[in-house]
Amino acid sequence: MNICGILVNAKPENVAAVTERLVAIPGMEVHASSDEGQMVVTLEEFEEDATAEKMLGIQKVEGVISASMIYHHYEDEALGEEVAQ
Amino acid sequence: MKLTRRDFVKSNAIAATASVAGITIPGIKDAIAADDGIRWDKAACRYCGTGCSVLIGTKGDRVVASQGDPDAPVNKGLNCIKGYFLPKILYGKDRLTKPLLRKTNGKYDKNGKFVEVSWDEAFKTMAEKWVEARKKGPKGIGMFGSGQWTVWEGYAAQKLLKAGFRSNSLEPNARHCMASAVGAFMRGFGIDEPMGCYDDLEHADVFVLWGANMAEMHPILWSRLTDTRLTKKGCEVHVLSTYEHRCFELSDNSMVFEPQTDLAIANYIANYIIENKAYDKSFLDKHVNFNQTTTDIGYGLRDSHPAQKAAKNPNVGKFNKISFDEYAKSVAPYTLEKASKMSKVPKKALLKLAKAYADPKKKVTSFWTMGMNQHTRGVWMNGLVYNIHLLMGKISEPGNSPFSLTGQPSACGTAREVGTFTHRLPADLVVAKDAHCNFAEKVWKLPQGTIPRANGKSNKVDQTDISGKPMGKTLIHAVAMHRALKDEKMNTFWVMCNNNMQAAANMNEESLPGWRSSKNFITVSDPYPTVSAQAADLILPTAMWIEKEGAYGNAERRTQFWRQQTNAPGEAKSDLWQVMEFAKYVKVEDVWPTDLIAKAPEYKGKTLYEVLYTNGQIDKFPKEQVTDDRGNTYNNDEMEDFGYYVQKGLFEEYRMFNSAAGVPKKGHEMAEFGAYHKARGMRWPVIDGKETLWRFREGYDAHVPKGAGVKFYGKPDGKAAIISAPYEPAAESPDKEFDMWLCTGRVLEHWHSGSMTRRVPELYRAVPDALVYMHPKDAKKRRLRDGSKVKVVSRRGEIVSRVSTRGRNKPPQGLVFVPWFDAGRLINKVTLDATDPLSKETDYKKCAVKIVKA
Repeated sequence: MNICGILVNAKPENVAAVTERLVAIPGMEVHASSDEGQMVVTLEEFEEDATAEKMLGIQKVEGVISASMIYHHYEDEALGEEVAQ
Repeated sequence: MKLTRRDFVKSNAIAATASVAGITIPGIKDAIAADDGIRWDKAACRYCGTGCSVLIGTKGDRVVASQGDPDAPVNKGLNCIKGYFLPKILYGKDRLTKPLLRKTNGKYDKNGKFVEVSWDEAFKTMAEKWVEARKKGPKGIGMFGSGQWTVWEGYAAQKLLKAGFRSNSLEPNARHCMASAVGAFMRGFGIDEPMGCYDDLEHADVFVLWGANMAEMHPILWSRLTDTRLTKKGCEVHVLSTYEHRCFELSDNSMVFEPQTDLAIANYIANYIIENKAYDKSFLDKHVNFNQTTTDIGYGLRDSHPAQKAAKNPNVGKFNKISFDEYAKSVAPYTLEKASKMSKVPKKALLKLAKAYADPKKKVTSFWTMGMNQHTRGVWMNGLVYNIHLLMGKISEPGNSPFSLTGQPSACGTAREVGTFTHRLPADLVVAKDAHCNFAEKVWKLPQGTIPRANGKSNKVDQTDISGKPMGKTLIHAVAMHRALKDEKMNTFWVMCNNNMQAAANMNEESLPGWRSSKNFITVSDPYPTVSAQAADLILPTAMWIEKEGAYGNAERRTQFWRQQTNAPGEAKSDLWQVMEFAKYVKVEDVWPTDLIAKAPEYKGKTLYEVLYTNGQIDKFPKEQVTDDRGNTYNNDEMEDFGYYVQKGLFEEYRMFNSAAGVPKKGHEMAEFGAYHKARGMRWPVIDGKETLWRFREGYDAHVPKGAGVKFYGKPDGKAAIISAPYEPAAESPDKEFDMWLCTGRVLEHWHSGSMTRRVPELYRAVPDALVYMHPKDAKKRRLRDGSKVKVVSRRGEIVSRVSTRGRNKPPQGLVFVPWFDAGRLINKVTLDATDPLSKETDYKKCAVKIVKA
């Protein structure tokens, strides 16, 4: 299981359109964005290859100026077990 | 509501990302404070010279997570693509785990097959060869280290070679990367490394890139630069390159110039500043003197090469004082017309660039990397940019900064500061100076005259060698080492922490024959079976990066430490362990003449290990449990094996060169060992626990006395040197038959020779093969199209690859660009081994080729 936190930059006027394009990619979610066009994105993916492809692909999504990897977690298991709250 | 680990990890990912963006998301936990059974600790990134800090999460001795370090001033929580894949470089399927020796029927055989052996057998075999080869003279042996060595690895290796084996045959791969920058710093300022720091990225109004593709090679610095460009009013970016690359997307003034004519462009800017009287006269009067360098200096080729024979003053770096008027006269021929004609850059663009430098109200930061360093006039060219900044007084203050970037994580910290070059010692000391060697011998508790002087004479008397003969001249640079191996003058060679064979220019003619000569014994230490490892006779498996405690120094003088966070696989051992352990297999009597031993009878019968490392200084700090301030504990394999805190001992002895009272060259002070494990690095000179952001300027640099304003204290007179140097042509230019320029370099997804990044399948798939980037018109002329199979042919060799006319790199007509990461298409069979005659750094950016259908 790969879980990535990605910071995406877009022009503020393009945030809505970029969000639409990003969430169309399976496993990708946009959680928040700032007025300056910074977007908090996560990617969840089992397959190593697909993770890399999607991640590298973000930079080619129309309207994306840059994308930085902030956080990456990977383990072989599905991470389905419960944790104490 | 049930919360799975997946939810938990995801909320960590969101929190970390939101926090870097400065966005608050209600209900999201703080990533690092959360306890998920993961131990988090900082480490300096393994890749480039930027020196980003990453947080590494380990669980059960395996790295499971990574995060851009939010507390790191360099990267402020960001990570580039390579950094993202960073932990995976540890887990390539073909990691080496046992020493491998070429053998036939159980015995070493140059033409045998690689067989697993014990470390003991590996070192016994190696020591025998080394002692034998050393009898020939100080150049009989050689070691090729790295700007990726940790600080203490470089320091330990330097002691082993220069003091133990009494040989100056030690070079780092930084010779191929930073030597020209070092040369210009020493000539211009008398002290190495940039005066400014990364904070200039926010302070500057104008950025000028001279032969640096920062967008791909230094992405984090590029993102800081981009932020400034997009948020600061009036900010401009000027990009100079021999082909169009990704930085051009942000550029306000794009200039593609004919290779080698950067020399003319820089001189034109100086001329413009003088003609328009824009220079800072009072700065020049107080802080600068003018000089003319010796010209027609050849191309660092073998003496028998025609281009070398034709030179009037081959390899001469001497420069003489001149007046301001003489300097003005020397640049006067470089008019706008001439510079534009030579460079093929439109006049308008050159004028815009000159005006930006000449505007006293604009703060200008210049960046450069290999385009300027890997240049047969690299030292001159670095100097010409300093000339411009010095003329304007735009130096050593926030935003005004000539800034030489580095390609390797510790090219500065290890290769340059520790001085693992043939001619250097720690803290800018050199073996050409008897007094510097005397000082080093005192620190190292060695008899006077142990370290070979450059000319083989101490106190004007010949130093005796183990053979009983005089030592003779002792310096030998990286490219000359390969030539000496080929000529069988050097018979043993140890390559550590770099892919020397793949990186060597003209490898087919000059490198491989020497490595495979039956007279020579080649050792390669590496985590992976690289091209170099496969060309060797003995392969030593290496523990890498966070499998050992380490320290790197980045391009802004920042020294950063990390702890050992995981264990190395199998019997892999760090370079540090290998260097020190090998020293146990050689006795003083094997390599020192009797008259030297007589000066230090206490060393009689001792091993080099005992003399160099258990000298009461390095073994001073007893074994302890490494613990961070949160109570987490860490292994330290070297401490375990040798029985004392090796890294601390080495660092504290190293500090006697840069921080003790009365050192020969001031200005390199570092903090004590423990301080670096706490800080996110500190920029030297560190004085009273305080780092230095801008050197040579009062108020920022404690070495500049009150009232001086500026003092270039690396020079005896406190003045920087403007050194005039003209345009001289490249070593090999296109002609009728070989009608294209070949430029080589890197791409974003891979780092250098690809020995680490090409093991990450995702990166491999992103850019699987090195392509030949070419202008569509040049392709059409040759009846080629995108994807056509072609041969790139030079006078030395050829490779087969495919054409790309639509790549990210867009060469102008007349030039092709080929990246060098691809071990399957070794472009260095094609390149020319011409070097800067002063810095001995290879010019990988210019030679003549033809492109034909394959």
